[in-house]
Amino acid sequence: MRLRDYVIRRLLLVIPVLFGLSVVTFVVSRMVPGDPVKLAAGPQAKPEEIQRLIEEFGLDKPLVIQYLNYMKGLFQGNLGRSMLNRHLVRDDLAKYFPATLELVLVSMAFAIVIGIPAAVLAAVYRDRWPDQVSRIIALSGISMPLFWLAIMLQLILGQWLRLLPISGRFDPRLPYPREITGLLLLDTLLLGDLKSFFVALKYIFLPALTQSLIALALIMRLLRADILEVLQKDFVRMARANGIPERIILFKYVLKNGLIATVSMLGFLFGFLLGGSVMVETVFNWPGLGLYSMNSALSLDFQPIMGITLFVGLLFTLVNLATDLMYGVLDPRIRYG
Amino acid sequence: MASHSLDTLWEQYRQGRISRREFLQGVAAVAGLAGLQAIASACAPTPAPAAPAAPTATPETAVATPQPEAPAAIEPKWLIYSGGQDVPTLDPSDRTDYSIGAVGRQLYDRLFRFEGGFPRPIEPCLCERWEGSDDAREWIFHLTNKAVFHDGTPVTAEAVKYSYGRTLRFQRQRSNLLLGLLEEKNIEVVDDYTVRMVLNEPYGDFPRLLAYQEQWIMNPKVVKDHEVGGDEGEKWLIEHEAGSGPFVIKEWQIGDHYSLEAVPDYWQGWPGRGRLAGFTWRIIRDTPQRRIALLAGEVDFADTIGTEDVELINNTPGYVCEVNYGTLAGYFKLNNQKGPTADVNFRRFLAYAFDYEGYIKSLGGLGKLLVGPIPDGIAYHDPNVQPVYRYDLEKAREALNQTPYKDGGIELDFVYVTGLTFEEQAGLILLDQLSKFNIKLDMIPKVWPDMVAACNKPETGPDISMIFVDSGPLPDVWFREQWYSPTWDRPTGGSFQSCDFYKNPEVDSLIEQVRRTVDEEERARILKELQRMIMEDIPGIPIYVLPNLVAYNKRVKGFKYFGDISVDFWRLWIED
Repeated sequence: MRLRDYVIRRLLLVIPVLFGLSVVTFVVSRMVPGDPVKLAAGPQAKPEEIQRLIEEFGLDKPLVIQYLNYMKGLFQGNLGRSMLNRHLVRDDLAKYFPATLELVLVSMAFAIVIGIPAAVLAAVYRDRWPDQVSRIIALSGISMPLFWLAIMLQLILGQWLRLLPISGRFDPRLPYPREITGLLLLDTLLLGDLKSFFVALKYIFLPALTQSLIALALIMRLLRADILEVLQKDFVRMARANGIPERIILFKYVLKNGLIATVSMLGFLFGFLLGGSVMVETVFNWPGLGLYSMNSALSLDFQPIMGITLFVGLLFTLVNLATDLMYGVLDPRIRYG
Repeated sequence: MASHSLDTLWEQYRQGRISRREFLQGVAAVAGLAGLQAIASACAPTPAPAAPAAPTATPETAVATPQPEAPAAIEPKWLIYSGGQDVPTLDPSDRTDYSIGAVGRQLYDRLFRFEGGFPRPIEPCLCERWEGSDDAREWIFHLTNKAVFHDGTPVTAEAVKYSYGRTLRFQRQRSNLLLGLLEEKNIEVVDDYTVRMVLNEPYGDFPRLLAYQEQWIMNPKVVKDHEVGGDEGEKWLIEHEAGSGPFVIKEWQIGDHYSLEAVPDYWQGWPGRGRLAGFTWRIIRDTPQRRIALLAGEVDFADTIGTEDVELINNTPGYVCEVNYGTLAGYFKLNNQKGPTADVNFRRFLAYAFDYEGYIKSLGGLGKLLVGPIPDGIAYHDPNVQPVYRYDLEKAREALNQTPYKDGGIELDFVYVTGLTFEEQAGLILLDQLSKFNIKLDMIPKVWPDMVAACNKPETGPDISMIFVDSGPLPDVWFREQWYSPTWDRPTGGSFQSCDFYKNPEVDSLIEQVRRTVDEEERARILKELQRMIMEDIPGIPIYVLPNLVAYNKRVKGFKYFGDISVDFWRLWIED
């Protein structure tokens, strides 16, 4: 099968996946206990107001009709409105997504830039101190509660040392950079505003560092194990016997082979971080999708919950597809079918 | 400077005067230099944005009580405020969250304002004086002729009519206190600066209700200019303003921060020794993070501070944490329609069995016990109401002996909000005492939407739940929302405030009467009687008023508590 057919087939598969996701989310969001109408109407709401809200959002109709209406809107590009403040969900997603994307990209960059060299060092210096240090970092990354780490970082680097800001996305005392892509680091570079770039970098540093920890730990341990495995292969021994320098063996042959599993995991991690940034965004008040979804969930605001789920679901499947394609680039033996 | 160097490097590279390697090295050097500058600036205090011209307040323009003194003495500075909540909309006809109110009332004026001081007096803002008819149905409001919107047009009676009319048409949270009482067609413009409102039923405390309802007055022209498809500016007003208040919007960053800039020639002038150049409402949702941001110097003022942080802040030089008591009151709501709590003697038993003082001690002494069913910040509060329930195991035993449960052997649900340790703590104290009577308390944490849903009707209502109520300064609203049976006994069910499911026709009738009464003495008599009856019947147990904690850097001056979480930014200035 040609690559183009494979991509088309995978893209078509996205439709049933999203359909299933929409059904499950719709049913679950309607079945959970709670009274979103009363929450939206407020404690002093008159019965007429409650009834009007129920009718406005079509909640008086059977569940199937509600779902069909939702899908009808979806095909017209309408993800509905928040019951709480009437914001269009589509507009909100457009506002909050760039912040989350930026956070995930920087977190991934941290994880890769620190994780890959650390894994190589750990493998090369197996059971010596670089390996022990990386093991401690990896174990901490997996086992330490992230919110605790986040608060410690805020306390030490923010309150005590006053080195880094502890919350938000940009210094409120400075004019907010003009938005081009919504990714502040990129926008400030495009505008040639290096001062704002470094301000934005200061603000993203702690949340991205915290968020990167899990990815960092996984990369370090997986890549280390893979490198150690490749180092035992015959072709490595052959290369050494032929007198090829160790540096070339490591970076040209071993690392490329060892990276295959890690790269495929990077795609998964990227999707995982995109959909799972709630904790970090909450602790650092990062105005992204995670914070938006938490606020919507706490007030049982149906339409944003549906919108976020479908949007993140779509992203996740597309990232998976991209990962699979990347896998083939790294390992030419892989054929699509 | 950095961008200039980059331009030069690029030009040199483009002309072939330097190699690619030299160009890249140059870029790295410039970036490194800029990084060092950024780190250096991170360690130094960030300068505030350039301040607008000096304030021009004059005593003649100030309608309200404060008198300006040497307004130019202090250079206007920018204040960073940290609120625990987002400002999801600014529409004056929509929601009434504390954060929305805090920011919105800086952009808009209203008929009355709460100036400071507690219990809250009604203070004039746009409305200079008012008159009510003897039957309390017809009210006339006289507006100042000094107020102007931000576009320079005067604030007239037409704008007042439009603003109230829009809110009544929208029927959202903001209209809740008005619906059924006032109709748009009964708001009349008498002349440019006089409005008449005729109510559907008498309401003797109507000005206080308007002060609390706090309708922001919109500029009808600006709203109409931004209409899309007849939406009355609904979409536009979420993030924009059409007001006449002391501030205008400077920057609106959804979910992150909102910056407002002072109107130098605000029509009411500026009180105090100076004024702010502007302020930023920065959202920091988590309590410990707000404290960290304050002490790290990132913010100047922070609201809803955790009780555990009060001492730490007060022990930090240059900072202060104020402990005030407003009207946010905690009750044990008891289900009056089913189970043991339907028995009045059992309810009295519970009221005597709880260790009130012990509970306040467990909260570090922060919290004021309620005397009677409404907090003492509410008009007509009776400090001598009887009976007052306090921890008394003998009286508890006496009351229990008059119920079928004198030997215990029963189990009750205690529902509280997940994660709120002060509510859980109250339950644990009650659990401990009830165990002495062979009664088991089942502690059930629930998320807030679930609690709201559970309070819909008596069948789903918990035996005991801990609920916090704040119905503002209107005493009749407190009774109506909590203990007036038509509030919950209706097809759409009740709210979390009526989770007692209390039904007493005599109380219902008195609650109806108090609204119709114009006579101050008669109203005081009825409200006193209502307080006594509620304590006698004890449908729920009044526990305490939650402390309202705000902390700030001592360079912030002019803060006056007025019974609300938020501050009046109009009054503040910064002195270094």
